[in-house]
Amino acid sequence: MDKIKLKEIKCISYERAEIKKGYTDKSLRVNLDSNEITISPIEERIKNKFIGGKGYDLWLMWNAVKASTRWNDPENTICISSGPLGGTPGYPGGGKSIVTSISPLTGAPIDSNVGGYFGPYKKFSGFDVIQVDGKAKKDAIIFIDGIENKIKILEASDLPTDSYELSDVLTRHFDEDKPVNVSVVTAGPGAVHTNFGCLNFSWWDAGRKRVRYKQAGRGGIGTVFADKKVKAIVARFGAISMKSNNPADLDALKLVTKAHSKEIRELDPKQNRMSLVGTTHLVPIMNDHDCLPVHNFKFGSHPESRVIGEEVYEHIFDKGFDGCWKGCTVACSHGVKDFSPFTGPYKGKKVFVDGPEYETVAGCGSSLGIFDAHTIIEINFYCDAYGMDTISVGTSLAFVMECFENKLITLDHTGGMDLSFGNRFNALEIIHQMAGGEGFGAIVGKGIRQMKQIFAKDFGADAAFMQDIGMESKGLEFSEYMTKESLAQQGGYGLALKGPQHDEAWLIFLDMVHNFMPTFEDKAEALHWFPMFRTWFGLCGLCKLPWNDIIPEDNKNTSEPAKVAKHLGWYADLFSAVTGRKSSPEDLISMSEAVYNFQRIFNLKMGFGTREHDTLPYRAVGPVTVEEYESRQERYDEQLKEKYSLDIGDMDSKEKVAVLRQKREEQYELLKDAVYERRGWNNNGIPTIETVKRLGIDFPEVLEVLKKNGVE
Amino acid sequence: MIEVDEKQMPWSKDMTMASLLATLENVEFCSVVRLNGRLVSSPKFAETIIPDNSKIQLLPMVSGG
Ligand code: SF4
Repeated sequence: MDKIKLKEIKCISYERAEIKKGYTDKSLRVNLDSNEITISPIEERIKNKFIGGKGYDLWLMWNAVKASTRWNDPENTICISSGPLGGTPGYPGGGKSIVTSISPLTGAPIDSNVGGYFGPYKKFSGFDVIQVDGKAKKDAIIFIDGIENKIKILEASDLPTDSYELSDVLTRHFDEDKPVNVSVVTAGPGAVHTNFGCLNFSWWDAGRKRVRYKQAGRGGIGTVFADKKVKAIVARFGAISMKSNNPADLDALKLVTKAHSKEIRELDPKQNRMSLVGTTHLVPIMNDHDCLPVHNFKFGSHPESRVIGEEVYEHIFDKGFDGCWKGCTVACSHGVKDFSPFTGPYKGKKVFVDGPEYETVAGCGSSLGIFDAHTIIEINFYCDAYGMDTISVGTSLAFVMECFENKLITLDHTGGMDLSFGNRFNALEIIHQMAGGEGFGAIVGKGIRQMKQIFAKDFGADAAFMQDIGMESKGLEFSEYMTKESLAQQGGYGLALKGPQHDEAWLIFLDMVHNFMPTFEDKAEALHWFPMFRTWFGLCGLCKLPWNDIIPEDNKNTSEPAKVAKHLGWYADLFSAVTGRKSSPEDLISMSEAVYNFQRIFNLKMGFGTREHDTLPYRAVGPVTVEEYESRQERYDEQLKEKYSLDIGDMDSKEKVAVLRQKREEQYELLKDAVYERRGWNNNGIPTIETVKRLGIDFPEVLEVLKKNGVE
Repeated sequence: MIEVDEKQMPWSKDMTMASLLATLENVEFCSVVRLNGRLVSSPKFAETIIPDNSKIQLLPMVSGG
């Protein structure tokens, strides 16, 4: 591409804040209505309560939006932060960005934790968090230049539309000599035309001399980005070292970084081999435990799943260092070199594909009945390039395919396309249509919740059946784990603040496989502590994977192996070393609890956050159809007889489906009761006054929201 | 002989993954193993025959996702 031309709309010079113990104590706000650029201090009391990362994002958003704010209102805000520990080179997973906004899918705050170098570069340029609001009149680029100490708003025209090319062009434009100094955040045409647009966060892969990217996928933040006419946000910064965070105790930081990094280097090859296969090892494991979504979560396994798992991807992934953060020894962000798509605008060209990860393989592979590694890579490539979340794309398409097979929609609605499970060419065609906002793809791009309404209203489809099989909760499409046999994971999805995404709680193994939480109270306890640790990574700018995906060899001898105590100790040491705030593993929970409850109340402020919103489609809880029941008949029959002491001798499968449903739905409601109680919430799922006081989030505006909802 | 987590162990005919694990201590977290490089999960342990000279790694699968 020829040299690009950008018109400067606004430019300010600033004095870069000195980093102190992981913080700049400054926030940056860019308002695209007025082109105002504002730098503000972050108060000590906010720092102490909200820690950083997602905590800072939510606090700024809370103050920016009203209860009536919708995702496409100008005051909706996109916040991106790092966190006090973010930007620690060599610490496994030590460079994440956390992005939040009001979601087009859920109407409530959504958060996404993403790799790439943007978060640390932005912080070292002087800002713990950036807040973008308003709407630009023409395509805009926000440039944070931490080398020249300038912030610019630039008007962009004639730039590539897709993220794949755009990331590359902008990286080279903003530092031709040292592209490693640049990280860009971009969306793409799919973000313009669907409700589940994602953001791509880049980093420069020095080994391969090319731009790579990771996705802030969930909840349509890319759609908000595109609606604001933001073409890109770019951060530029120079060399980073362990000293960049100006840690309170550099020696202690070096010690803990070395220990965690060394352990991963030694144990990953003996355990999940993530540095070779990423997360694709989960495909055969989930399949064998009947937890891999097949045909829209109808079934949990398929004989062909081996051809889309680690055994295949190990040989397809390009060899080389694949850390999405500098020196991360897990190095699980693999990609495919010289891939040649067989459809779409890149047909026949050679491209580098970042991915696929487990979620994409399961969502855009097995759940669609597509057992072809090449097609999954192509779907992965186009979703990223178009800026669409592979999870929502896969889960939405799976819903469409089941509707098609059940004749709820027909060729007349799909533009003549056969959308039966396994039809990979038409699946790809729908993805191209989604990105262009054309044909039937334009409807699919609205997401499952809206599709259910359109199919019922316009096509006369059975609304109750679609409610059962449409894998969304709170408006967000499910990520890719089957939960029918794990009540705790049903809670992990149904009670997750932002909707059914596994990053909050992943309890399938502990619950279903190891049976470590037999009672409601045990499950409720796990649904307390697990999300708190996961939340903490989002407060601090860390990746969740190194906590419990690689396990110390002596972990099984500890009193609570599920918590991986040695790693929690390291995380507390890391926090103490950088911030100087002496911390223990228990402190990590209390830091998270305040922000977690604040987010729940934020949902309440936006009109959600109560018991009725913690519901699940029945497909997540048990077999919807006779076909599903009979596919696992032995298991279900035994449960009806043994667990529920029922005489099923005279029942046909339809009756068994109904009675099992009644029992399982009762169990889920009982689980909600237990979890609400453990979390210090009332029976309607709202934090009590005692809880907000205990956590120190009893701000007047919080109490006001509680009062409006009958809690005082 | 077989190798289990880098330790040598005697092999016997008709040995399955389930029968092997029954002889080991502290394996309640082991629901996945790597048998000669291939992943095998607990629902398949009883039917998985271990060939002589196999190399086995017990995977401490606590969490994931
Ligand atoms: S563990 Fe994987 S996803 Fe997490 S920071 Fe490291 S390379 Fe990125």
